[in-house]
Amino acid sequence: MQPNRMLPNRSRTSVLVFLLPPLLLYCAAVLFPIFQSLFLSFFSWNGISDMEFVGLDNYVRMFVADDIFWRAFLNALIYLAICLVLQLGGALVVASLLTSLRRGRELIKTLYLLPAVISTVAIAFLFVRIYSIDPAGLLNQLLHWIGLGSLERPWLSDVNTVLAAVSAPEGWRFTGLYMLIIYAALIAVPKELEEAAVLDGASRWTLFTKIRFPYIRPVWITTTIMATTYGLRGFDIPYLMTNGGPGQSSELLTTYMYKTAFTSTDFGYASTISVFIVIECLVAVGLILFLLKRKAD
Amino acid sequence: MKNAFRAAAAAAVAALALTACGGGSSTDPSNVSPTGEIKPREISWLLSRPADGAVINIMKKIADDYAKDHPGFELNLITTPDRPSYIQKLETLAAANKLPELFDTDATPFAQQLAKQGKMVDAEKLLKTLDVYDDYRPGALDYQRFDDGSLYMIPFQFELEFIWYNKALLEKAGVAVPTSLDDIPAMCTALRNAGITPIAIDGQDQWPLERYVAYQPFREAGPDFVQKLKKGEAKFADPAGQKTVTWLAELGKAKCFQEGFSAQGYSDAQNQFTSGQAAMYNIGTWELPSLATDKLNPDVRDDIDFFTLPTTEGSVTAANEFVSPSGIGMAVNAKTYDPLVSDFLKFALDKYPAEYAATGALSPTTDVETAIPANATPLYQKALDQADNLGSKQAMPWDTQLDPTTNGRLQQELVLLVQGNITPEQFTSTMDNAIAQNAPKFFK
Amino acid sequence: MIAQAAPSTPPTTVPPAPHKAARRRRKPNLFRTLSRVLIMLIVIVQVYPLAWLFLTSLRTEQDFATGDPFALPSALTWENYARAFETGDLGRNILNSFIVTMGANILIVLFGMMAAYAIQVLGFRLSKLVRGLFLIGIIVPVQIALVPLFIDYSAVNLLDTYQSMIIPLAGFSLPMSVYLFSSFFEYIPRETYEAASLDGAGPYGIFGLITLPLSLNTVVTVVLVNSIFIWNDFIFANTFVLSEDLKTIPLGLQNYIGAMGKVDWTATFAAVCVTITPLLLVFLVLNKAMIQGLESGATKG
Repeated sequence: MQPNRMLPNRSRTSVLVFLLPPLLLYCAAVLFPIFQSLFLSFFSWNGISDMEFVGLDNYVRMFVADDIFWRAFLNALIYLAICLVLQLGGALVVASLLTSLRRGRELIKTLYLLPAVISTVAIAFLFVRIYSIDPAGLLNQLLHWIGLGSLERPWLSDVNTVLAAVSAPEGWRFTGLYMLIIYAALIAVPKELEEAAVLDGASRWTLFTKIRFPYIRPVWITTTIMATTYGLRGFDIPYLMTNGGPGQSSELLTTYMYKTAFTSTDFGYASTISVFIVIECLVAVGLILFLLKRKAD
Repeated sequence: MKNAFRAAAAAAVAALALTACGGGSSTDPSNVSPTGEIKPREISWLLSRPADGAVINIMKKIADDYAKDHPGFELNLITTPDRPSYIQKLETLAAANKLPELFDTDATPFAQQLAKQGKMVDAEKLLKTLDVYDDYRPGALDYQRFDDGSLYMIPFQFELEFIWYNKALLEKAGVAVPTSLDDIPAMCTALRNAGITPIAIDGQDQWPLERYVAYQPFREAGPDFVQKLKKGEAKFADPAGQKTVTWLAELGKAKCFQEGFSAQGYSDAQNQFTSGQAAMYNIGTWELPSLATDKLNPDVRDDIDFFTLPTTEGSVTAANEFVSPSGIGMAVNAKTYDPLVSDFLKFALDKYPAEYAATGALSPTTDVETAIPANATPLYQKALDQADNLGSKQAMPWDTQLDPTTNGRLQQELVLLVQGNITPEQFTSTMDNAIAQNAPKFFK
Repeated sequence: MIAQAAPSTPPTTVPPAPHKAARRRRKPNLFRTLSRVLIMLIVIVQVYPLAWLFLTSLRTEQDFATGDPFALPSALTWENYARAFETGDLGRNILNSFIVTMGANILIVLFGMMAAYAIQVLGFRLSKLVRGLFLIGIIVPVQIALVPLFIDYSAVNLLDTYQSMIIPLAGFSLPMSVYLFSSFFEYIPRETYEAASLDGAGPYGIFGLITLPLSLNTVVTVVLVNSIFIWNDFIFANTFVLSEDLKTIPLGLQNYIGAMGKVDWTATFAAVCVTITPLLLVFLVLNKAMIQGLESGATKG
């Protein structure tokens, strides 16, 4: 195997000098505990009793006998979809708009990042109020003003709207971050290419689909992978706002896993769920690479 | 590579298993008066109480006093007021076998397992040896007991839960204080018709709604019902169970709780009541400083009163028996229990009640008189007086009784039931299934 | 309760572009006005929470309890700030958060860069495998590793120290850092290295003289993004810290929780406002540096 080597003369020691410290830290602090917990998925353990080997029982239970698990899985996918639309779609739209702006870009970009800085506790508290109906929160007040009073509802208590309602703040929060990445890619699109296309009479839409987007595709793939893996691991906002409720309407795999571990003290089964989350993330990343890379070729 | 991987895997499991089983070497939990020299050192108390609250402030002071005679002694108070975060921390420490000298826990199945493994000192023996056992209110101790009657936690509070109400709002709707639990749905309908929110409830924290599921069975079948239910010996399908299920569905139909309550927090609910928007509010005496002093909104101050849990027709428990919790209890780690811990506890438990009662709260003991704060309304005294006239039974909150998995499911399904998203039949079968599935793991 | 590893920017994975076009295209006015309005709307949506947070922290308790949370406060008060400082040790919390954030960032940047240099630039036989190992850390939910982590840390006496927060925070952020640095290193042209090699620079010299200075923008990005997450980390701090002296900001915010989960929200918001100020300041300065870096990197190549 021919290694990917950029430096013509480098010694084995130098590789070790650079690689070993980070690898050791990573293995000791991250990989080892993760493997420990993954092995727990074959055990039944409540944290204080003796560990009992149960083979594949936890997996069988997860796939066959746990209705909440499947519900949470479905919810997680919907949650992911909403986050992705907001984060990637929103980021792309805003970044495109920004490129048309001449002054004030710095300030606006900074302002867009603000929600990411505020602590989650405060964000969750604010959004509970925004969605509230009794007393009427911002969203219901707005709907009332624009004459859509019939849509007013307790957004976080209605089993049909709660999932969307908890996904929105998470999606909105990090839009600015992804916007910044995509914006940096967009302004790097060579102006000559665009101008040539305009001379050929390309519409704004063709300009975007034929010139700009293909150019930023590598960045787009990275951003999509990031947003997807973070979306699949989303935890704190749903946990703080509804704790998975009402019923299991906003239960995600992550909140379910956390509860299984620390409420039910079923560490073995919780590990089984996290094994599933890891595989789910891997599949998602594979799919993204497959779909987006293939289009590029 | 494969071998290395297998070796790593084995090591991983072994490391966990070692610590997991390493807890066996604890001392005898029933030996409450260890002999030997008192060697002052730092001891820790892992607790889940307000950082600036009475318990912590008093214990700090007591520890300082104790340190004067025992140089080198220090009490490190590690508090995590948010209960779910606290539980995560406690379980993590327990799993690593790193529990400190003292730690807080409710009488949960998890705590019972710790006790069974000999990790906690027998509190009944301890209190008796310190000669303070008889000072405690029986109710305060009973709240801390496990099903088998054993006592491993020491209470630091004593609270009574009432239903607070706004006289003016009830009058406006033309309804009277309910004499039976069964009156409440009709009462809610009348209040709703008058444009008033009947009951303000903190849905986010889940325990407040879970209180309501306990009321009917406590009146109908007494405190034993939940004891049997949690082990699967009684069912929601039984008459007492069905009574509470239908009642809750009725409460929901009558729109008793504020719309969208499931996402509203503790202060939201209280604010609705103290701002005169909601007619009733179910809360305990820990809120006396907000509800029975001049801190209460002047607009409603003269209209506020409370009633205790109504009875029902044919009720097996009396009107003076309701929810009277003594809060999260303190357990003593058997492994680190030594003459110092013993001596400090003796010192602290002796001094604590007087100090605590002086803050205007009810002491878990009967040997001290609670001081009424200067800014109290007459309601304050009225509330405290209820403590002297309690029956021998108490309604246990179900969240400390059921196994945690069933409890979590119950909290979720209750919201659905009250919101009308599921039928009483669906609720009954889901919950009975959940108990059948989970109870055997926790109550062998 | 957030995992620390963070989404982040691969700043210069953007291929270099030639110099700017001499003249911009003229855009139709309607489009321009529309996009301006849209941008302003989004700015309002993004800035509103912070403004709301600040305003609420100035409300009186009575007003907060009874008033419309979205109306302007009827009276302003600094009382909440007084209470926030009285109840908690905010200065101590900020200092601890600062130490942890700095410590973790140093490890994340230095180790991330080193690993990426070894994998991407130096290259070795199993580099693909090592890269894959690092990828696992990006996708594992941290909550599950808490119990084993705690057990392992207590075995080596790491509990209740700054290191016990810094190491897992750095460890779990490392994969993303490695990923970002290696995608950046991909774009440093091979010729740059070859030229330096011919001048007699070894792998260490090249790292210090070429790679490090060139990656400054990526460093800023990595630091910025990780700081947001580490500053707000609750789950590791709550698990590994026991003593009052080591509590970071998210733990300090728990001081405003009273009996049975009753939260003193106005004091909490005052504390939140105080504690995000240092981060916000650093953020504003760094953000400008990052954006400038991004743009110059992208346009000048």
